[in-house]
Amino acid sequence: MLTIAIAKGRLQQDALDLFARAGISVSEEALASRRLAVEDESGRFRFIFVKPADVPVYVEHGIADCGVVGRDVLLETGSDVLQPLDLKIGCCRIAVAAKRDAGGERRGVLHVATKYPRVAAAHFGARGVPVEIIELSGSVELAPVLGLADCIVDLVETGRTLAENGLVVVENVTETTARLVVNRASYQLKSAAVGQLIEALSVALGESGSL
Amino acid sequence: MEPLSNIPAGMRYYFGREARLRRAVEDAVMSVFDGWGYEEITTPSVDYFALFERGMGREEAARCFRFTDADGRLLALRPDVTSSVARAAATLFAGEARPLRFCYAASVFRQRTRSHAEWRRQERQLGCELIGAGESGADVEMLAVAAEVLERLGLGGAYRITLNHVGVFNGVAAQLGLDADAREQMRRHVDARDAAALEQFVARLGRSGETAARAGRLARIAGGRGVPSEARELLTNEHSRAALDELESLWRVVESLNLGEGFSVDLSDVSGLDYYTGLVFKIYVEGRGARVGSGGRYDELTANFGRREPAVGFVLDLDALTEALARGGDFDSQNVEREAALVRGTEDARARFREARQRRAQGERIRMDFET
Repeated sequence: MLTIAIAKGRLQQDALDLFARAGISVSEEALASRRLAVEDESGRFRFIFVKPADVPVYVEHGIADCGVVGRDVLLETGSDVLQPLDLKIGCCRIAVAAKRDAGGERRGVLHVATKYPRVAAAHFGARGVPVEIIELSGSVELAPVLGLADCIVDLVETGRTLAENGLVVVENVTETTARLVVNRASYQLKSAAVGQLIEALSVALGESGSL
Repeated sequence: MEPLSNIPAGMRYYFGREARLRRAVEDAVMSVFDGWGYEEITTPSVDYFALFERGMGREEAARCFRFTDADGRLLALRPDVTSSVARAAATLFAGEARPLRFCYAASVFRQRTRSHAEWRRQERQLGCELIGAGESGADVEMLAVAAEVLERLGLGGAYRITLNHVGVFNGVAAQLGLDADAREQMRRHVDARDAAALEQFVARLGRSGETAARAGRLARIAGGRGVPSEARELLTNEHSRAALDELESLWRVVESLNLGEGFSVDLSDVSGLDYYTGLVFKIYVEGRGARVGSGGRYDELTANFGRREPAVGFVLDLDALTEALARGGDFDSQNVEREAALVRGTEDARARFREARQRRAQGERIRMDFET
């Protein structure tokens, strides 16, 4: 049996729909329960639902063989997992946003509020911009409004939350979609089952060029 | 003041059941090495940083714990054993008949990059090196030793050794004319099996869509029995094809030795490309989410120390192995604390110690009781 960790929240429903199209479905009853681990109807897969940042943790340790998680999380955690498939769901971008009326005055150091300290540091580092990273765990949009930071680096899906807080996207950092990730040992020791899963998901995604 | 109860990150104690298991595993592995004629070697725990920088490459050596000698030269706490063994082969053992066979059990120390699964900064390596034999027979010997070790540990049917040849990737990188940065980028995409990113990467180089699609398919070839025939279609450069031929003939020998079941070919294993020069392999066992060992051919290493000669070796991570074995299996089932008898009673200390010595000589485990 393969254990698959799914990121709760934004991606969860789209991911389960995709698995269902690949012929791996979880009964309504199991989903309606509040259990955090459920089996699919064939009994070949077990799904566990965990916080997005924890998906690569379970997979890297091999407690889950596979996982579904956004590329944004993988970039931030720098996890050592395989990423054989772009699942093309949960499309959005990581962007730099600032107040609409922010002045163009350059200062010695840029204060950046973010949930993605590593991504933000790499982005500004590559441009030679000195930054002070202020790590927050939510409501990042507030930081420039209240003067905690000059700008933010955050996930932008529609841009509505930004607009409602008077922020605009200044620069794109990178695009992100959900990825299928696989544990390195499971990829070898359970190669047949993992291969079948990748194949089934590829077909569901309409990719012809699989094996 | 810092509380003395703190233990530095990545350092730990071993005791009781776990310590016994580690001892048993280490003894079993070393006895397999011994059975193949490997001689134990113990290398210095502290050595010049320059040795490891040459031996492991700058990037890996950057993870050393470093400090300075009395004369200001940079020292390091041993981050690997192979560098030191290679130096000894080129110097201390320069005059000895080849091939040389060395094995070791030694603790190594490395700073860790931020990672979830590998946080230990001290690990015990069990390894062996075969130096001065370039034939494919030496590669086969290494794989057979590794398989025998795993069988001895009761892991038969529960391990997988993946084989690759660095020439497969190097041929493609040369064909595409990549500089060092681009090569590293491509290596990362292959390493992550990220076919989509690899396709985009090749397309950005201005290559045809067909070349890009071929690169993507290459990353999708999963581990399999023998060299996948599809790889031959996809790899058009001579360098890669020669590497595939070598892998193919190695695979045939592995199968003829009835070892095929535990082995597979994984063309996407592209770690340590600057270090290895031919065969590379990784060892996985059930119950452990990361590899427990790795090895390969490193024909350039000893040249750093003034004598170029072929060499092949592999190393097992004792902690990773024992963690997997502790989760069940035959090997750990014999692991129980041995009964100890108490010797007490008479006022006569000399008599007590005499009795204890006699019973120990007969194989008993004796604890002295100080209560009277």
